[in-house]
Amino acid sequence: MTVITDYRPPQLADSFWVTFRMMFKEEWRQAVDFSRRRHIALFPVMLALLSMILTVGLRYLTGEVLVSSDTESQAFTWDQLKLYMHGGIFAFSLSMGSFAFIGRVMVSQRAGGKNFLLAIPAVQPLDLVTNYFAYYSKEVSYYVLMLLVPTIIGMAGGILLEQFAGLSTPLEWASLPVVLLALTTTLSQGLALSFIASALFSKGGKWSYTIPLIGISIGLLGALQIVDIRLLIPGMLYQFSHQHWIPLVTIPLSFLLAYIGAHLVPDDFEIHVTTKSELFTPVWERLPFLGNGTLRLLVAKDLVDLWRSNTLVKMLISYTVPLLFLLLLAWLVDFASFPIPFNLLSYAPFLGFFGFQFYSWLNGMDSPDYLNGFPVALPELLRAKIVVYFLITTWISVIFLFVMSVVLDQLWALPAALIVMVANSIYIVSLTALLMGPRPNKAIFDISIMAWFYIGTIIPLLALFLISFTQGDMTIYENWGQMVSEEGLNATTSVLVEENVAGRGLRGILGVSAGLIILGIAFLMMLNRRWGRKPFEN
Amino acid sequence: MSDSDIPLVEAKDLGKAFGDFVALHPLNVKVAAGEFFGVFGPNGAGKSTFIKLLTGQLRPTMGGARVLGINVRADPRMVKANVGIVPESESPPSFLTAAEYLEFVARLRNLDEIPEKVTHWLDWFGILDKRNTLCKDLSKGQRQKVMLAGAFIHNPKLLFLDEPFVNLDPIYQRKCRNLLMEIVADGGTIFLCTHILEVAERVCTRVAVIDRGHVLAAGSIDELKDNDDETLEDVFIRLVGSSFDEIEAMEGSEEE
Repeated sequence: MTVITDYRPPQLADSFWVTFRMMFKEEWRQAVDFSRRRHIALFPVMLALLSMILTVGLRYLTGEVLVSSDTESQAFTWDQLKLYMHGGIFAFSLSMGSFAFIGRVMVSQRAGGKNFLLAIPAVQPLDLVTNYFAYYSKEVSYYVLMLLVPTIIGMAGGILLEQFAGLSTPLEWASLPVVLLALTTTLSQGLALSFIASALFSKGGKWSYTIPLIGISIGLLGALQIVDIRLLIPGMLYQFSHQHWIPLVTIPLSFLLAYIGAHLVPDDFEIHVTTKSELFTPVWERLPFLGNGTLRLLVAKDLVDLWRSNTLVKMLISYTVPLLFLLLLAWLVDFASFPIPFNLLSYAPFLGFFGFQFYSWLNGMDSPDYLNGFPVALPELLRAKIVVYFLITTWISVIFLFVMSVVLDQLWALPAALIVMVANSIYIVSLTALLMGPRPNKAIFDISIMAWFYIGTIIPLLALFLISFTQGDMTIYENWGQMVSEEGLNATTSVLVEENVAGRGLRGILGVSAGLIILGIAFLMMLNRRWGRKPFEN
Repeated sequence: MSDSDIPLVEAKDLGKAFGDFVALHPLNVKVAAGEFFGVFGPNGAGKSTFIKLLTGQLRPTMGGARVLGINVRADPRMVKANVGIVPESESPPSFLTAAEYLEFVARLRNLDEIPEKVTHWLDWFGILDKRNTLCKDLSKGQRQKVMLAGAFIHNPKLLFLDEPFVNLDPIYQRKCRNLLMEIVADGGTIFLCTHILEVAERVCTRVAVIDRGHVLAAGSIDELKDNDDETLEDVFIRLVGSSFDEIEAMEGSEEE
């Protein structure tokens, strides 16, 4: 049949730049929409400042100024610093790169209150591949500008201080382009890997279990040092080797990988009309312990959403994968007879920490705009999310702690570990809800929110982590004085050799946990003041 | 066969099932150039599904369709490139301004004189003063105007409009209606789904009434009427099976 038009839809080269440009604006405005513009603008400034301070303090971090001191061996090595820097960026990019999931949510919610460019191919002749490839490119550029460039500017500031303030740093000007290029390599690789994994996972079927298995396997290869982690993260390899071909090959390869990923995203504008048997009332009836008020209704609704939207599996995977790593780490530390007495109570606080990610998922699941017309306030919804979080994840955490206690042969510590886990979970999720409300994913570039979040999480986490060492095998400290004189301070973390240390430590742990529970409840009560007048919007 | 003989829209046994639920039973429709074709039906009748199948937003599970001679299933982007689409209840991207969205659409379609076109359509819809307002901050009606402007900006000869008048005030309903009639008078073709039967009665040259995925009737409005006194609303109610008694009883209870 004759085609009555000769106009062809735009190809990648025709539509990429305008899509990229508009997506960049969209990203910036989303961030600004959530917070005040100055908070967003302050983020790179603070990052640069932090980077400058670290640059000036590099001699202390690496122990160069402590040569011949007993504490020298306590300092970080250059290799460790590079590893942490790239490890952090790589983990961040993996967590931010699941565009196929994000895209699907945007497409499914495009008839709601908000719409995004990722959903545009539904009605405009924009190729899905161009759309997702532009999104990947935007993400790389955005994070390079918001994270990496300020870090490098801070490093440059640190070097400049050497000339003007007499403070010395081992970092050289020539290193800066290398660091920027190396970090960009790691960032683009992490985003691309996460993107292609989410695209394949979205296809369902065998991919839904193959992808997590591949991810865990690669993680194990690196963690067990079967494969040098620098080979898995070429940006890190470049940082160590300064071989310029590495970024020149890896960055284009990452973009190629993302381009392939863009082809793999299911062209799915289908409306999956499915009929289901009544679920809301049966779920609601199973929640009598929540009373008869709004909370019970909202929790029942969220549980139905979780089940029906098929996000439960994704969320559980996103929650259990870090726990599996923790379990592996516990086994590894035990297996390798690591000198520091890690024990069950050292790991328990981290279980609560992973709640942040789960809470984020819960808030991105459905648009809450429809609630604006009902006599419900936003804090009630936030509390409902927290309740759902506990209902869904607590059993997983309990199982993990139990398995870990068996692996470590520390069943005696299980009751205390459970208290620590619950306390941390209540505290971290309540803190997240208080600071970030219904939009935790959008808060990451708000300097004031993130500063409070880090202060609020790191201090109790660190406190519990350090006190937990009192519960481990203390025999290694018995000849502590001799070890320090021979090896420096790295053999131990604290000098706790008294008989009653374990008892006092346990009381300390329980005390901190009780404090966290009280704070968590206080945060829940403060939700009304912070979010009570805000509209339902995510 | 000359271009003018080819139906612009042709559905052959086109149908869609979502699992066990058949949203649209196989139907056959041809729309020629210069027609103002209306599709009516009660809520959930399958109107939007029909329009989405014709514009490549959904894949058919039965039969197929050609739009402008293009096989929709094989090349949905080619269809989207050559028609204008206003979906039901969809908004422009929230974090672009009204002007940016139109600029984006215009660049995507490789148009020339983009600033002039953007200004023209914003002005035409009376939202020129909102050009730099984020779409999320526009009212529903203003967002609908932006969506309509995005469908008109490349001057398509075929438009698929799903409830385009719903959020518009009466002035812009009339203005849009007149514009659509001008497009048809110039040889363009409109495929319209609407509940506003008074509008449809004035503009549509041919209509199809759909209920529960079946085409109940199709033809010119005069052909569907039993007598001259019957309005399109009467036809609609008669065809979809609701009796006047039921409606009157309902109205009576409202008055009480």
